[in-house]
Amino acid sequence: MNAALRPAALDRRALGRALSRAADAGLADILSAPPREERHVARRIGVTGPPGAGKSTLIAALARFRLSRASRVAIVAIDPTSPKTRGSILGDRIRMDGLVDDPRVFIRSLASRGATDGLADNLPEILSVFDDYGFDEIILETVGVGQSEFAVRELVDVELLVLTPGAGDQIQAMKAGILETADIYVVNKADQPEARRVEAELKATLTLTAGAGPVPPVVLVRADAGENIAALDAAIEAATMRIAGDPESQRRRRARQRIKGIFWRRLAQTIEDLPQAAFDQSLPELYATVLTDLKKAATGRGRTIT
Amino acid sequence: MSDTIETPVISAPPLRGKRILVAKPGLDGHDIGAKVIALALRDAGAEVIYTGLRKSPGFIARVAVDEDVDAVGLSILSGSHKELVADAIAALADQGASNIPVFVGGTIPEEDVAMLLALGVTAVFTADMKLDDVVAAVAERLAERLAERQA
Ligand code: B12
Ligand SMILES: Nc1nc2c(ncn2[C@@H]2O[C@H](COP(=O)(O)OP(=O)(O)OP(=O)(O)O)[C@@H](O)[C@H]2O)c(=O)[nH]1
Ligand SMILES: [Mg+2]
Repeated sequence: MNAALRPAALDRRALGRALSRAADAGLADILSAPPREERHVARRIGVTGPPGAGKSTLIAALARFRLSRASRVAIVAIDPTSPKTRGSILGDRIRMDGLVDDPRVFIRSLASRGATDGLADNLPEILSVFDDYGFDEIILETVGVGQSEFAVRELVDVELLVLTPGAGDQIQAMKAGILETADIYVVNKADQPEARRVEAELKATLTLTAGAGPVPPVVLVRADAGENIAALDAAIEAATMRIAGDPESQRRRRARQRIKGIFWRRLAQTIEDLPQAAFDQSLPELYATVLTDLKKAATGRGRTIT
Repeated sequence: MSDTIETPVISAPPLRGKRILVAKPGLDGHDIGAKVIALALRDAGAEVIYTGLRKSPGFIARVAVDEDVDAVGLSILSGSHKELVADAIAALADQGASNIPVFVGGTIPEEDVAMLLALGVTAVFTADMKLDDVVAAVAERLAERLAERQA
């Protein structure tokens, strides 16, 4: 790959095309790609939370702060694909209009396509394109999630969970241990009356679940007015410092996510491709059939297909 | 069975996998048509990005390049379509994206259509056309371009 390396000017057209190729790549393309050499790796910040929590608005405000530390920031925002029409309205970037004229920022919208975990197909491949183009940081917005999806955890270095007043359900879920993956908890819409109460409740819950361990930070912000974003920026900086000390576990986490994504798609495809009659078998037989087909798929392709 | 009744064919949505930018250049605030068309394109399987109102041609071209869209659709009801379309096409060329096809919709008088096509616009649509026909025409033009490129 002839990457445009820093500090040369960014070829936005080439980057835009490269991202499309990564997004559209089939499994065979991914598996037959030559191994990547050690190179520049962008720091990744994941932003997740329920629909309408203010993730996009927050990212727009946060990016301004991150730009004081990073020379190139990418924003990747995912919106859901309709399972019926396969179409999608990619509406996150409309909240980020103010960043479009800044040449240091690159915003890319993605449709989730086949992914059902709040992320998008080929996301690991897409994100690593930004590494090739010398980005210092990627901010990733997931689909507005419910309570079960935390796949983003393995793909990013720092995960932010954005909650709002009226997020009573989320805090209930946290008590049940479902939402305990974030590094930083953001309570957005500080202008709303219940915000402080939610913040307090969240802190109490996190203190309880943390036990003897460290309690993750809770930051109250007002994203639409850019209030208290400096405190959030500082919390992110502190969290990334911890990660910087452990590049090995970061690398392993990313490898795990990549292979999971690849297998997930391969498995779904294998099951899709089974003939009707396969489902007349007993469950153990069916399981064995799928395993055999997976093995065939692994040896029968690769290298020759580009 | 009567042969006038067609069996429904389950076919792939015509715009599946296509990325389309719907943009509103200039100062007019008429956004109903842009929103209607964005939803219709989505329902035909496209991944649609809508810019919102009052965007400059440079802004639109920047978004088109970063998002690597397969088409840019300009919705203009202000009467200033000549200047806005010329500027948008120039901005795309300036940012290395002259090969992205441009569609135009809105209040475009019949007599201006040829002028817009001469500027490089792929097709022009107005409110008197059926929505399904507009979507089908967009899909057809994009398929033609793909075929041309592969030939
Ligand atoms: C509704 C309307 C308004 C609403 C707008 C509400 C809104 N949020 O959109 C209000 C009342 C606010 C309004 C105000 C004004 N309006 Co007005 N308005 C209209 C009206 C009656 C209908 C427009 C409409 O929504 N049509 C329905 C949609 C679905 O149709 P469409 O936009 O044409 O889109 C279709 C196609 O064109 C095509 N299409 C459109 N875009 C795209 C993009 C792509 C990619 C594709 C493929 C297809 C496509 O597909 C769509 C679906 O079929 C038109 C008259 C008319 N009949 O067109 C005047 C009209 C557009 N308005 C006009 C004017 C002058 C104004 C005002 C300046 C003052 C005034 N005289 O009322 C203000 C200015 C507002 C502003 N800020 O810019 C003039 C414009 C004159 C011109 N072009 O030279 C018109 C033509 C009326 C006239 N005959 O004088 N208006
Ligand atoms: N009152 C108030 N509203 C806010 C604040 N931040 C964002 N909003 C509003 O909340 C709404 C949703 O904001 P988005 O940024 O689109 O939220 P999102 O989480 O990205 O939404 P999805 O991507 O659809 O899940 C918008 O109307 C914002 O203007 C805030 O601090 N206070
Ligand atoms: Mg959003």
